[in-house]
Amino acid sequence: MAAKKKRAPNVQNDSWVVIAADSAIHTQKHDRDADFVKLRNPSTDAACLYMLGCGDAQLYEVKAFEEDFHSWFVGQTVQRDGRLVFVTPMDPLFLILPYFIKSGKEAKFQPVDQVVTDEEFPACSRLLSCTRSLASLQHIAEEKEAGSTKFHRYSEEKTMNWLKKKVERTVVALKRRNISVGEGVKSTTYVRVKSEPDSHEEDYLRYAHGLISEYISADLSRALLKHLELPELLSPKETEPPSKKRKLSDNPVEAGEDYTKFNSADFVRKPPKKMTAAQKTLAKVDKTGMKPMSSFFSPKVKAEKN
Amino acid sequence: MDLSPFEANNSFSCRLASQIPDVCRTEDCCLGVDEAGRGPVLGPMVYGICFCPVSKKEELKDLKVADSKTLTEAEREDLFQKLDEAKSYVGWALQILSPNTISTSMLQRTKYNLNALSHDTAIGLIQYALDSGVQLKEVYVDTVGPADKYEDKLSQRFPGIKVTVRPKADSLFPIVSAASICAKVARDRVVKGWNFAEDLGDVDTEYGSGYPNDPKTKTWLLKYLDPVFGYPQFVRFSWSTAQTLMDSKAVTVHWEDDDEDGEKAAQRKNNRSMLSYFSASTEGNDHNATHQTHRFFTERRLKSLDAL
Repeated sequence: MAAKKKRAPNVQNDSWVVIAADSAIHTQKHDRDADFVKLRNPSTDAACLYMLGCGDAQLYEVKAFEEDFHSWFVGQTVQRDGRLVFVTPMDPLFLILPYFIKSGKEAKFQPVDQVVTDEEFPACSRLLSCTRSLASLQHIAEEKEAGSTKFHRYSEEKTMNWLKKKVERTVVALKRRNISVGEGVKSTTYVRVKSEPDSHEEDYLRYAHGLISEYISADLSRALLKHLELPELLSPKETEPPSKKRKLSDNPVEAGEDYTKFNSADFVRKPPKKMTAAQKTLAKVDKTGMKPMSSFFSPKVKAEKN
Repeated sequence: MDLSPFEANNSFSCRLASQIPDVCRTEDCCLGVDEAGRGPVLGPMVYGICFCPVSKKEELKDLKVADSKTLTEAEREDLFQKLDEAKSYVGWALQILSPNTISTSMLQRTKYNLNALSHDTAIGLIQYALDSGVQLKEVYVDTVGPADKYEDKLSQRFPGIKVTVRPKADSLFPIVSAASICAKVARDRVVKGWNFAEDLGDVDTEYGSGYPNDPKTKTWLLKYLDPVFGYPQFVRFSWSTAQTLMDSKAVTVHWEDDDEDGEKAAQRKNNRSMLSYFSASTEGNDHNATHQTHRFFTERRLKSLDAL
């Protein structure tokens, strides 16, 4: 009925619909406004948007709800993207952790500001101003005090215990929120009415581990899985039989058959191979009055006059 | 004819009816069904029924009710007056289908076309007469779509009533002509005094007949096209006239049930090619193979941003 509509690209807009806690944008107490900053995502290692509250006191993660066919009516205007941005509090330690792991390879005690530096994301040093940051470093590192300065060294054991606690607390939150964690039909349109009774403790643990893994590197995620004593699940991809495609190799390509042998004198034609069912039926077709295909390409033979 | 119930809220469908004459409850009656305003892009479609005792058919003829299309507006008003005066034996009822009702029916997810809407409205009105105690024995209907199919449908729906569906029934049966006059008069009045729900300031009421080929209507449609909202509720959005104008002049709006195909749409919807289910996965080909967002987020359509 209607003509096909073309989809224009979503142009950058200068306003957003955001849900944020009052504390995130409260400006009276501090001299520094809340600020969107790009930092390294610990899970993907790529640039990702975060928000630092006023005076860098608190870290917030930024997530967007995005679905097709949505738009906003804002006052007397239309906002084309139906995006809803959530700004939610986040533990800054997740973002600090990768820097400690990196410097942990040197196995030295170091002052924090030497550890948390990043040429690509200079804003990362602001993470240390967050109220929780310095106090919570003890969860992932050993501390030494010399004079008035503190020195830290990454500890995997401490980190694992800290992450395990995070997982356990997530499990509690999942249960309280009645979030369905079992392997069911994964549908986006079906709302699960009740939590399945057969959701076992392991399902909760695995789900929580998956959620926490969104905030740590893949290596750490695997280590955490071991620490939680959960067996690694094989993805269906890995259980599939290997592809039948021929493997490419570095060896020079050689002809599979030596065609020169047809030229030799002692070459004898092999008896014709067995015909397939289709070829057999074709052979049975009545061909009277049909010219061979090749006749169409050869020079015309003048018809003899009688 | 008191149109105030409809004018109070012209977004919805509305039923208006006369008093039921007492004779109609005791004597065998005939009933005519006709409609006005099927084709226009503007204004409501009005369905009307008229009924009277079979014995009074001749008296109805004497009123010289004729096919509403052959009459001028003044003549129609005059005839309606006469019908109203004959209320001792003639009853009528109207269903005004607002343009908004027509638009939303035809454009909803499960399409409800104009013929189905018409049939159901006619059935609703006949049922209303039966529910009011009118002793119906004969029903005459001007056809919508194939006459015999419509006749079968109505006969099955109303067993025991003789249903006659004919093209041009409004010029063949006086009771249908009467229904047609009621419907036409109601539509004329509603269109003339349309209450715009939208704040349009001083509305230009020079919208002509409302038929798509009327130049006045076309000019009006061009003038009142809003780039975001399209038209006031006075316009039937489902008419191709309105749709073509909106497609070319207004902002494009995408709906979930838009017909969309092609590779781009599939890619946008994240559809997988059927073939991909049969071949073994090629590692590293998938961009997100290394990192797959947890289903807590994907199920909730939440994603991280790298820029606002």
